[in-house]
Amino acid sequence: MVGGGTAGIDGERTIMSPDNSRRYVVVAISVALAAVFIYAGIDKIRDPLQFADSIAGFAILPALLINLLALGLPPFEIACGLLLLGPWTRRVGSLAVAVISVVFFTALASALLRGLTLDCGCFGTGAPSRPRMWLELALDAVLFSGALFVYLRSIEGLTTNGRRLRRHAGVA
Amino acid sequence: MTSTVSTVTADSAGLLPARSLGAQILRDLGGVALLAIASLVAGLVMNRFSSAPLPIAYQTPEQRFDVELTTLVAAPPFKIAPAATVGLEEFHSAVDSKSALILDARPSVFFEQGHVPGAYNLARDDFAHDYRDLAGVLRAAHDKPIIVYCSGGDCHDSRLVANALLSLGFSNVSIFTGGWEAWSAAGLPASTGSGR
Repeated sequence: MVGGGTAGIDGERTIMSPDNSRRYVVVAISVALAAVFIYAGIDKIRDPLQFADSIAGFAILPALLINLLALGLPPFEIACGLLLLGPWTRRVGSLAVAVISVVFFTALASALLRGLTLDCGCFGTGAPSRPRMWLELALDAVLFSGALFVYLRSIEGLTTNGRRLRRHAGVA
Repeated sequence: MTSTVSTVTADSAGLLPARSLGAQILRDLGGVALLAIASLVAGLVMNRFSSAPLPIAYQTPEQRFDVELTTLVAAPPFKIAPAATVGLEEFHSAVDSKSALILDARPSVFFEQGHVPGAYNLARDDFAHDYRDLAGVLRAAHDKPIIVYCSGGDCHDSRLVANALLSLGFSNVSIFTGGWEAWSAAGLPASTGSGR
């Protein structure tokens, strides 16, 4: 466990340890994910009708659910982004991003498999294009990986923090 | 060294035991579900106060256009902007020379019984449907004069259709106020059936 100390909290080493660098990576990925989701959410909230048309293009949902999704998804994306920015809310935010990325990935993959050419409405509107759909599918995979990484690190952080607190309280 | 390794537990290695991990993920998924519900409520509230709220059930662009067209011709007559009018002589001349697009705003049943030769049926009571059917003809005649007529006398159908066309961007629209009544009373030729 050489170099495995943590900076600050235990009065241990303050040099850059693997724990610290991992923490910075988690924060960097969280900020990047938050930026993507807040931007995407704000973009969709500006024109819900256009977004509803994009959702309808996937031909997956019945008419009764399309507008509900068009109204609910943008605030959800913005909330995910904001939750990712807070250290105590990051865990739920990253899980939400992971879940929604799987949903996006599945919808896009299904559209590609069915031979549809559409504008997914993920980041504003554009001309329907299959190459762009493939690109957005890859982006969803990247977003999922990033969110999963942040989530797993946050869960691990729960144990680490609990252990430290117990050690401080003289329990461990 | 051997004894140290043997006493390492999942917790001391910085990992949650499988059961706690599962419970934690379930708790977090519950948080995600709550977040989704709160977002939906927020979206519905914002929509309620939006200047152009979405209906609960989705309408395709075609359905929305139909609603828009139907609304255009459902305006009460007092709201209609005055459109230019033409008399029988001018109308007759336009029909003969084919210099204008002639539109019959009466219901299709009356159009089939008799109409001005060369006229298309753009019925006020089925405006959205007929407008879509005539989209090509109307597009081709966008810069041409358009003359609309209905039964004649006090009929409002021609005014409503002319007003709708003006709202849709057709600039050269006028009304033959004498309508079918004046045309047939003058003993001028007529066509029957659904075609021109």
